[in-house]
Amino acid sequence: MLDRLSETLDYHALNAMLNLYDDEGHIRFDADRMAARQYFLQHVNQNTVFFHSLDEKLDYLVEEGYYEAEVLEAYPRAFLQQIWDAAFKKKFRFPTFLGAFKYYTSYTLKTRDGKRFLERYEDRVVMVALALARGDQDLAMSFMEEILSGRFQPATPTFLNAGKKSRGELISCFLLRLEDNMESIGRGINSALQLSKRGGGVALMLTNIREHGAPIKGIENQSSGVIPIMKLLEDSFSYANQLGARQGAGAVYLNAHHPDILRFLDTKRENADEKIRIKTLSLGVVIPDVTFELAKRNEPMYLFSPHDMEKIYGVPFSEISVTEKYDEMVEDKRIRKTKINARSFFQTLAEIQFESGYPYIMFEDTVNRMNPIDGRITMSNLCSEILQVNEASVYNEDLSYAHMGTDISCNLGSLNIAKTMDGRDLGATVEAAIRSLTAVSEMSAIDAVPSIRKGNDESHAIGLGQMNLHGFLARERIHYGSPEGVEFTSVYFATVAYHAIRASCALAKERGESFKGFEASDYASGVFFDKYTERDWLPESERVTQLFDGITLPTRADWAALKADVMEHGLYNRNLQAVPPTGSISYINNSTSSIHPIVSKIEIRKEGKIGRVYYPAAYMTNDNLEYYRDAYEIGPEALIETYAAATEHVDQGLSLTLFFPAEATTRDINRAQILAWKKGIKTIYYVRLRQTALEGTEVEGCVSCTL
Amino acid sequence: MKDNVSARAVPRAINWNRLQDDKDLEVWNRLTVNFWLPEKVPLSNDVQSWATLTEEERTLTIRVFTGLTLLDTIQNSVGAPAMMPDCLTPHEESVLTNIAFMEAVHARSYSSIFSTLCSTREVDEAFRWSDENPHLQAKARAVLETYAPEADPLKRKIASVFLESFLFYSGFYLPMYWSSRAKLTNTADLIRLIIRDEAVHGYYIGYKFQRGMELESPERRQELKDYAFGLLFELYEIESRYTEELYDGIGLTEEVKAFLHYNANKALQNLGFEALFPPEAAEVNPAILAALSPDSENHDFFSGSGSSYVIGRAVATEDDDWDF
Repeated sequence: MLDRLSETLDYHALNAMLNLYDDEGHIRFDADRMAARQYFLQHVNQNTVFFHSLDEKLDYLVEEGYYEAEVLEAYPRAFLQQIWDAAFKKKFRFPTFLGAFKYYTSYTLKTRDGKRFLERYEDRVVMVALALARGDQDLAMSFMEEILSGRFQPATPTFLNAGKKSRGELISCFLLRLEDNMESIGRGINSALQLSKRGGGVALMLTNIREHGAPIKGIENQSSGVIPIMKLLEDSFSYANQLGARQGAGAVYLNAHHPDILRFLDTKRENADEKIRIKTLSLGVVIPDVTFELAKRNEPMYLFSPHDMEKIYGVPFSEISVTEKYDEMVEDKRIRKTKINARSFFQTLAEIQFESGYPYIMFEDTVNRMNPIDGRITMSNLCSEILQVNEASVYNEDLSYAHMGTDISCNLGSLNIAKTMDGRDLGATVEAAIRSLTAVSEMSAIDAVPSIRKGNDESHAIGLGQMNLHGFLARERIHYGSPEGVEFTSVYFATVAYHAIRASCALAKERGESFKGFEASDYASGVFFDKYTERDWLPESERVTQLFDGITLPTRADWAALKADVMEHGLYNRNLQAVPPTGSISYINNSTSSIHPIVSKIEIRKEGKIGRVYYPAAYMTNDNLEYYRDAYEIGPEALIETYAAATEHVDQGLSLTLFFPAEATTRDINRAQILAWKKGIKTIYYVRLRQTALEGTEVEGCVSCTL
Repeated sequence: MKDNVSARAVPRAINWNRLQDDKDLEVWNRLTVNFWLPEKVPLSNDVQSWATLTEEERTLTIRVFTGLTLLDTIQNSVGAPAMMPDCLTPHEESVLTNIAFMEAVHARSYSSIFSTLCSTREVDEAFRWSDENPHLQAKARAVLETYAPEADPLKRKIASVFLESFLFYSGFYLPMYWSSRAKLTNTADLIRLIIRDEAVHGYYIGYKFQRGMELESPERRQELKDYAFGLLFELYEIESRYTEELYDGIGLTEEVKAFLHYNANKALQNLGFEALFPPEAAEVNPAILAALSPDSENHDFFSGSGSSYVIGRAVATEDDDWDF
């Protein structure tokens, strides 16, 4: 039947058949494979520029200004031939239509009119490997191996841009502080434009901005608060995009105890007035422990004027722990305050999340307690996985720096857990990943925003992520969130942490330098390692032991040796791990997203560039469907349990989305938030809802609609 | 028969705690959580995509939307209010007022699309086209006739279900088609929100029709059924011509017709009747069919707003929840 169909249906229709059961109630995986095949036959192969030889291709691409000549000139031609041969010999094939479609739509190099393809997947991988290895042939070969085998996948900005002549930056995301003065706000908007133009998401912290109605130059009721700044930012982001390749995107973070907090949240209301409605800017709320304590006691929570706080304490709001100073500030008459009910604040939060999925949440005190670096973490980023310290800048009247602080950037890449486990050598894979991410940091110099450049130069912060946890567990016939699933997660992440630190220490030895502020960190004092030398992080159950069979895992003695090594030689990277949500790259890499459970057996993916496409969960067949319970079926407890096990070993954050059926209430969301906070989760990303079709109105035989 | 405010009866306040029909509350709840306004969809993200359409495709798209605007206008200002005096329960009246309001939101939404994507001249031309197009006018008239005050209440419902579940879809096809080709995806989001509503409207009115049928004699039931099929044939005839006129230019007519068959069957099913078109004739392009479901779509937040968010039920937390 499919053969008949493939003659009459195009690849989009074949792909859509994934979402419709066949007559026997089976999912039509074959239709999707046929869609991928037809996509190549009908579209890719016919639109790919043909070259007779590698030499001809490279010469052409360099001469025409498509490839960066310097990348290729760092290697002898014979080696280039060798690495390209090795890559093509692997016979890479996209297992899903979406993987192929996404790659060719959004990543591959095209002619300038956008009509013809100049690269196949192997070409892109090799160019990324060559660019990041900067002339080191062994390293280039190992990067190529790790990426093409699917074990390591650089994040979109790196994978999209590396090796291309006209390109955006390789870095994924940026975090900027805004201080309470017009110079800082103005430069912040300019920086947002500059960074957005170069690709990557930008988050800005608004906590220090004086509230609506605060005095300016001593005259009361002058400030208009954070909302107009958000409006300016929203428009800036939609104006700047990276040569049209990626829509500019931004987020803003505000402390829960900022007086504008309710106005801030109301911008996402369904019935918000057009003047204050925020459509595309993402919101995040920073919540300290004290807010939970107040809600527990059902007391009001006070909101404090940042303007007054800065006057009294001499440092801005973001540098003050609200939990620590709460009682003191409540008593202090000089600080203007308003009060709202703490429980209804949480309820409002959940209401807005129902309507819009926002805001993200950062649990401020948890984050700072678990931060091994000296300094304070005051905000997160567009995907809520970056958690680093920053420092305020001070500007002169002509907008130059009186004191240049540091802002945050982070380049990301993720391991495919299933492929990494199949490779059996976690040490080698993690080290290659750390080296590749470090290369991105070393190759980046964002001069348009000097505080970002300074932050990167001093810290070489990177974020190694993970994906395909659910795919891996299901393939091994283990339920996501089951005791074995959680145990595996813990052991796996502990092992990755060990190798990441080991690799960074090796880099510190090679480079002869550590990140700035290493001496004051928990790594230098050794405190960080206590939890690894005091107990084992090894598998206990039979099933999980079996999974790691043949894989060397770090023992307490290994950790103790690493501790000594680090205390002596230091670490090159201030931050090492961050688990991003992995949208696009997990499709290309045939993974389930991040360490989330799947959202649906057949995921409906919609994006500006690719439209609506259907994606089957990794390794799913009609025989193992029971292990592919989706996030809505699994529920928040198992998800939080799994994330808590991973969080333990991740120095930055993990993007954690909560999933609820639309019949849930705000109370269900609040309970999940309380649980997450209690379990030591650092941040919460989106809240997603699924509404089941009213009985009698559903599309018949639809896979993603049935529960 | 009617148990609510009318000229002679004692005026009574509606009591939602005394339901004659649980379906009223169920649908009311669904409709209220589904409330939305066009402003929530970042339509301006489609401006670039709009520019990639050919002149002909653009004209087609605007015309399709003016056609839809007309139908929503009818349903808002005539259809739903006309059915109100026929209500069996006071709660049904409330549901219908909600339906009427959302139809106005839908009609308003097309104008949001126009004002974002098109020039005033293009839009004015398309509205003129819709005023003059014989097929569009014919189908509007056919439905309006049955909405006349002296018309049969159950026949009104039949026409209304056909409008909600059948007539809209020749127009809905196009944005779904574009979005399956990665074009106008935010517009498609907005249309999907409309489809989400219309699906519930058609289902609910069909359900009320079936309850009404149960009170009728066998002869009368036969009469209504004959009438329904007769009207469907008439509308189908007009709809086919309309479809040809719109879609011949880009060669999609056959596909759209299959989609019409599918939805005609769906409309009949809502009324409790058997399907008219055989399954082969109602085989819709999977890309379109799959595009209809708004559930569990995993959109990328940075380029769109998705169509799965709803207004949640607010429930206060209790002491137990804060036990830590």
